[in-house]
Amino acid sequence: MPAVEMVGVSKTYRGRGGQPLKALDGLDMVVGSGGVHGLLGPNGSGKTTSIRALLGLVGVDGGSGTMKVLDQPVPSGLPGVIGDVGAMVETPLFFPGFSGRRNLRLLAETAGVPSARVEECLELVDLRERADDRFKGYSLGMKQRLGIAAALLKAPRLLILDEPSNGLDPAGIRDVRELIRRLGSDGRTTVLVSSHLLAEIQQVCDSVTILARGRRVASGPVAEVLSRAGTGDVRVVVPDPAAAAAVLSAAGFSVSPTPDGQVLVHGAPAPGQITRVLAEHGHYVEELVRVTPDLESAFLAITGERA
Amino acid sequence: MSAMTEQPTTAPQPAAAAHRGSLFRAELHRFRARRFVQVLLGLAVLGWLGAVVIGLLNFGEPTEADFADARQQMEEILASERAWYAECAAEAERAGELAEQMCGPGIDASTWRVEDFVQTAPFDFAATADAGAMAFAAAAAVLLFLIGATWIGAEWSHRTIVALLFWVPNRVRVMATKIGVLALAAVAIGLAAQLAWLLMAWILRTFVGDGQELPDGFWGDLLAVQGRGVLLVVLISLIGFGLANLVRNTGAALGVGFVYFAIVENALRIYDPMLERWLISTNAAALVAPDGVRVVDYSVMTTGPEGPPSYLVTNLQGALVVGAAAAVIVGIGVWLFARRDLH
Repeated sequence: MPAVEMVGVSKTYRGRGGQPLKALDGLDMVVGSGGVHGLLGPNGSGKTTSIRALLGLVGVDGGSGTMKVLDQPVPSGLPGVIGDVGAMVETPLFFPGFSGRRNLRLLAETAGVPSARVEECLELVDLRERADDRFKGYSLGMKQRLGIAAALLKAPRLLILDEPSNGLDPAGIRDVRELIRRLGSDGRTTVLVSSHLLAEIQQVCDSVTILARGRRVASGPVAEVLSRAGTGDVRVVVPDPAAAAAVLSAAGFSVSPTPDGQVLVHGAPAPGQITRVLAEHGHYVEELVRVTPDLESAFLAITGERA
Repeated sequence: MSAMTEQPTTAPQPAAAAHRGSLFRAELHRFRARRFVQVLLGLAVLGWLGAVVIGLLNFGEPTEADFADARQQMEEILASERAWYAECAAEAERAGELAEQMCGPGIDASTWRVEDFVQTAPFDFAATADAGAMAFAAAAAVLLFLIGATWIGAEWSHRTIVALLFWVPNRVRVMATKIGVLALAAVAIGLAAQLAWLLMAWILRTFVGDGQELPDGFWGDLLAVQGRGVLLVVLISLIGFGLANLVRNTGAALGVGFVYFAIVENALRIYDPMLERWLISTNAAALVAPDGVRVVDYSVMTTGPEGPPSYLVTNLQGALVVGAAAAVIVGIGVWLFARRDLH
């Protein structure tokens, strides 16, 4: 059972002058149960809109596909599973005049969550010592941590975090990522993380959906998405790179030098052929590595956007 | 967040097992914890104490000193009146007219009573009970208008109502709960205001009262006025809530309220005096006043014994008009909230 399922979902906003603005354009997204799933895309690609739609905050265009959260249709079935869904969307929303602890206790009381759980979550995000301070006195990072604590209060089976690292210091970012990884690997929790930090997605996510202009342009395990976006380039380390390059070139390979003077073979479908050709000419390969793009390169390649 | 090392251990109750009323309790706690509510209620208590003190200082049996002051004041005014009349009579004589015609009847000192100039009088509960109940209802209504507007306005300002939907996605239930808490608070505060009036009246009657027996049927009539006063407080609180929910901002809601009462109502009165009977302020007063409010169209010149045309706004009409206004304003806000996209 997927934790999240969106099929053919569209959302059109009315822009200035009544012009229709398509935020989601037949979006498909499936998030399997368990693990950490990243939602990646440039600004305006529909990440936050899709999260809002999943939480029933925005209505999608009539008759435009289906959405399910924890196997319940959205929005009609949402009340039945909301106790298993924790979310933080964009900025944390709390009463500024109340302390962090009081804000959490009010939320906990709403869902019948025991108050001991409030203390656990405050401890979890390292906010216990400042829990009685007013929310409006918190730093951006503390507000973010309180938002994460609120999302964790229900010990949710599905945790949705929109830009969870916003405002955190490096240590805070590291801790949040560790927490996300830990939750995603507990066998019970599915974490859906939206982030503009590509490194974050790469570090913490098992799978990823990449959005552009309200559509899914790629999805799957992070490694698979990266390899799909790969160029097929292979880096070859040999004792005599110049001679090896000449041999490969003569054999029909497209080659160029790497910045460190080694050989880069472009679009090699079968790296074994490289090894064979070089060995036949007395060049013995010391290292042969398929060049894997990082997520940023893959993301730019997939979405067709270049910095 | 170095402490982020342990998984949570306390499993919360499943949502289905959560108490149905927990949202109501949480909202009730939030209402009680709001500083704005606490400050307003604190100021109301201070205002009540001030009113009691002023009442104790201004009511009471007049002393000899009070009579002496009154006599001196009466004689000063009498002398002034006589001087004016003498001057007027002299002018009339110069003009060749009769002083009675030009200046009115002469000053008859025998009709002047010292008692009329005594500033201090004992507290007369029978005569002031209804007016006091209406005044306390009006004050509580203004208070609850502010509280109702800020109760939901703060939610929109901080967008916490959006966060609440992560916990309770049923929007109508969320809004109904907030309205329920506000209505309950309005009843409680409206009742407290009426009890405060009774307590104040008891204090004044005990220490500076006239000692007269209360007339038959007094308590029944007063309780009816007070009950309608509590109803007014509830309805006005809902109007404040509904306005702020519609415009999604406390300040804007208060602005709309000010524009309506200060400008729209007066403009309508000028346009057609008989429109007065449909105005919220008139109907609010008619809802509480013992015999409603009679609206008279003084713009119509009449010479007959029947006088100018008038219309009696009854208690029932007052309740229906104010209730309908509250229902429409709140209803539209809830309908929009249930349908609109939330960001």
